[in-house]
Amino acid sequence: MNASFLIRRLGFGLLLMLGVVVLNFLLIRLAPGDPAVVIAGEMGGATKEMLDSIRQEYGLDKPVLTQLWIYISNVAQGDLGQSYFFNQSVAGLIAHRVGPTILLVLSAQLLSIALGVFLGVIAARKPNGVMSGFVSIFATIGYAVPVFWTGIMLIILFASVLPIFPVEGMQSVKLRDAGFLVQALDVAHHLFLPAFTLAVIYLAQYARLSRASMLEVLGSDYIRTARAKGASEKSVLFKHALRNAALPILTVAGLQFGNLISGALLVESVFNWPGMGRLAFDSILRRDYPTIMGVLFFASAMVVIANILTDLSYRVADPRLRGKG
Amino acid sequence: MSEQDILNAGAESPALEAWRMFRRNIPALFGVVMLTVIVAATLYGTFFYSGDPFEIVWAPHEVPGATPEFPLGTDYLGRNIVAGMLTGGGPTLAVGAAAAAITMVIGIALGALAGYYGGWVDNLLMRITEFFQVLPALLFAMVLVTLLDPTLTTIAFAIGVVSWPQTARLTRAEFLKIKELEYVTAARAIGARNKRIIWRVILPNAMPPLIVSATLTIGVAILFEAGLSFLGLGDPNTMSWGLMIGANRDYILDAWWPVTFPGVAIFCTVFAVSLIGDGLNDAFNPKLRER
Amino acid sequence: MSALLQINDLRVTFRTRYGEVTALDSVSLHVNAGETLGVVGESGCGKSITALSVMGLIPQPPGKIAGGEILLNGEDLTKVSEARMRGLRGSEVAMIFQEPMTSLNPVFTVGDQIAEAIMLHQKVSADQAMKDAIALLDRVGIPSPDRRARDFPHQLSGGMRQRVMIAMAVSCRPKVLIADEPTTALDVTVQAQIFDLLNEIQRDFGAAIVLITHDMGAISEMADRVAVMYAGRVIEDASADDVLDMPLHPYARGLINCIPNLGRDDDSLAEIPGVVPPLHLLGAGCAFADRCAHKAPRCAVEKPLLINHGHHPAACHAVEEGRL
Repeated sequence: MNASFLIRRLGFGLLLMLGVVVLNFLLIRLAPGDPAVVIAGEMGGATKEMLDSIRQEYGLDKPVLTQLWIYISNVAQGDLGQSYFFNQSVAGLIAHRVGPTILLVLSAQLLSIALGVFLGVIAARKPNGVMSGFVSIFATIGYAVPVFWTGIMLIILFASVLPIFPVEGMQSVKLRDAGFLVQALDVAHHLFLPAFTLAVIYLAQYARLSRASMLEVLGSDYIRTARAKGASEKSVLFKHALRNAALPILTVAGLQFGNLISGALLVESVFNWPGMGRLAFDSILRRDYPTIMGVLFFASAMVVIANILTDLSYRVADPRLRGKG
Repeated sequence: MSEQDILNAGAESPALEAWRMFRRNIPALFGVVMLTVIVAATLYGTFFYSGDPFEIVWAPHEVPGATPEFPLGTDYLGRNIVAGMLTGGGPTLAVGAAAAAITMVIGIALGALAGYYGGWVDNLLMRITEFFQVLPALLFAMVLVTLLDPTLTTIAFAIGVVSWPQTARLTRAEFLKIKELEYVTAARAIGARNKRIIWRVILPNAMPPLIVSATLTIGVAILFEAGLSFLGLGDPNTMSWGLMIGANRDYILDAWWPVTFPGVAIFCTVFAVSLIGDGLNDAFNPKLRER
Repeated sequence: MSALLQINDLRVTFRTRYGEVTALDSVSLHVNAGETLGVVGESGCGKSITALSVMGLIPQPPGKIAGGEILLNGEDLTKVSEARMRGLRGSEVAMIFQEPMTSLNPVFTVGDQIAEAIMLHQKVSADQAMKDAIALLDRVGIPSPDRRARDFPHQLSGGMRQRVMIAMAVSCRPKVLIADEPTTALDVTVQAQIFDLLNEIQRDFGAAIVLITHDMGAISEMADRVAVMYAGRVIEDASADDVLDMPLHPYARGLINCIPNLGRDDDSLAEIPGVVPPLHLLGAGCAFADRCAHKAPRCAVEKPLLINHGHHPAACHAVEEGRL
């Protein structure tokens, strides 16, 4: 791995995050009314002392550029401000909710890639076969279903008809004191429906993409070489072809990460999953701007990190890129 | 060749050919029929079901089919679901179309400039595009809508502002490809100005993939609007399919129908739009069909 | 009497949008151990389809082996199971492809790719296979082979990649080695090196080589015997010396005349007008008739057969009638 590439990539990531901070700053000033009142939150019933302490902390009596500087340096020190509605620091609020969101998003991502790629590879073996038709119809359907509605339909199904999965929350209250393994299984049990709901849309897209990508790769000369060596069909598909077809899939997986977080907002709301999505929703309803901005900052940071990781894994997967700037 | 011929190069006959391909594409035609029915129902449906969809007209949670007046039943407050379905589609479709238009305008403008001029313009615009792609779209849209107060206009604007990066990238890629072609050089040779080359020479030839992308963008925008309304961030004074689902979500275990029918409507609309989009894509790229 | 590889009356059809077309029509060829058979003709004449048929790599569908047999040591390859064919591919029959730039998998090291070929057919450990792969790289003339084995294809030149392809193809000492235009994509100097290497390999391993090419220069350097193909048929079949010194079929004459400085008095490059007709447009007569300077009415209606009319076999009415 090439160190200067990593440094440049990280530097650009930091620059993007700085952009998000500036955007947050501008958004608060874009809101109609006194910024101090906006920050205090419309439903917070702000007192005079509270507003004064906000003006003090954010330097609202100083010139705009100074305010920006104060805001940036606060964020740089991990201080995302105070939520006057929750009466807690924003960083603290988010810290509690990052885990569940990452868990949900990563499980959905892995599930959709694993299943989607598998379906796509199977379909690519017969470009005009039944499976190919199924994949393309399924992809169009998956694209068209509103994710929150899928969740609701699954809740109706699993709550009344087939009660094998919990439809709400992340943990059973009665297991709060159980051992780690029991709790982990309990979380996995709760995770299944939300992760599946979120995965369905992307699963269909990955299936369609990997089918197309596999079809292209299967036509290449090196696949013929592999067959000429006497490699089995399984090895041709899953070793020789998939390693190459995975490259565009990886690119899309990186780009999808932001959309996945958007989808997670809705899914968390439907399944009462205690993550950043719920927090965003609650804080938006209360116009709790410091929390909203904190969530936007953290969600963007997750996308930036995911993009850097994608770039790095891309270079591992494609030897032609190694050693290049 | 006259200047006009050069400017029109390759624009006319492919469109006709694409139309011929499209006409033979059964799923795409099915999509057109489906969308026509849905649009007609939302435009003219209120002739048959006049009245306020917010009005409480019957007992809550009337089962579909039990009372002839309310074929799809009533919701948790006793509001007529058919009335909601017919009036709730209009705002969704309008916001979807307007948001897609805003997305395309921003995306095409920035993508065209980046692709045509290259150099630092391209660099700057692409960095900005990357920045917008880092912001999770729905969250950013939620923030914008909250700041601006939700109306149909602000919702369409917010969706457009968060959705344009993909269109910009696509437009840029097309421009990079087309600007090297001979008819562009020819247009330049006869002294056409940059502005004219961008809008009158390159853009018409970049349209096929952009039209496909615009169609799919409408679908995404409709889902976006539905998601915002579902979360209760839509225009509270306008009935919409997403709002119907959101309003009834706490009672889904008592009554499945108030959330099911609007969801089916959203699905059918987006499904129809994407069938049309796929059909256009096939029509514009006949080579891909042989796969 | 049977040769090591014997193809009898092979017929291969393809389903296309123009209906079913015959890509190979009663093709008969044979090659003995230690011998090199040159198969020549323009692109689209069926050389590569013949090679892929022997390898059992005709995509089916749309392709189909509609008749004839391919005997390897007396075993008919058109009838064996896919599992058996897989066992033969790479071990008994191996192939070198035209495009060294794209014929190696870009995401695996060349050492891995050769070792894989070895492990598919021999019960050896991965370590041993890699050692063998490095020895093979050394054998095909790649400097510092142990380091090169860890390189990816994009780090090698075209000539090096073709050497890797050759190393891979001969890794299991195949009895028949098919080389499909092995040097077309390479520089002229590298071409000569690759031909030398193929000759050495043949001396070492005693393999039969089927060299597919449109380059008559390569034929004169490599081949013992030559089969000339046109539009899916063999139209002339004889020893390399016979064909080069005294080509009979007007098409073969055209090809030979394309080689500069090869015993012809005039050094002008005679060219054959026209192109190979599309397979779906083949009529009842001789496929070459439209491009032929010696065309007679009979040529348009009757397909000439590959028969010895005196010197050596050629499928041409004009040769049969002594008009040439």
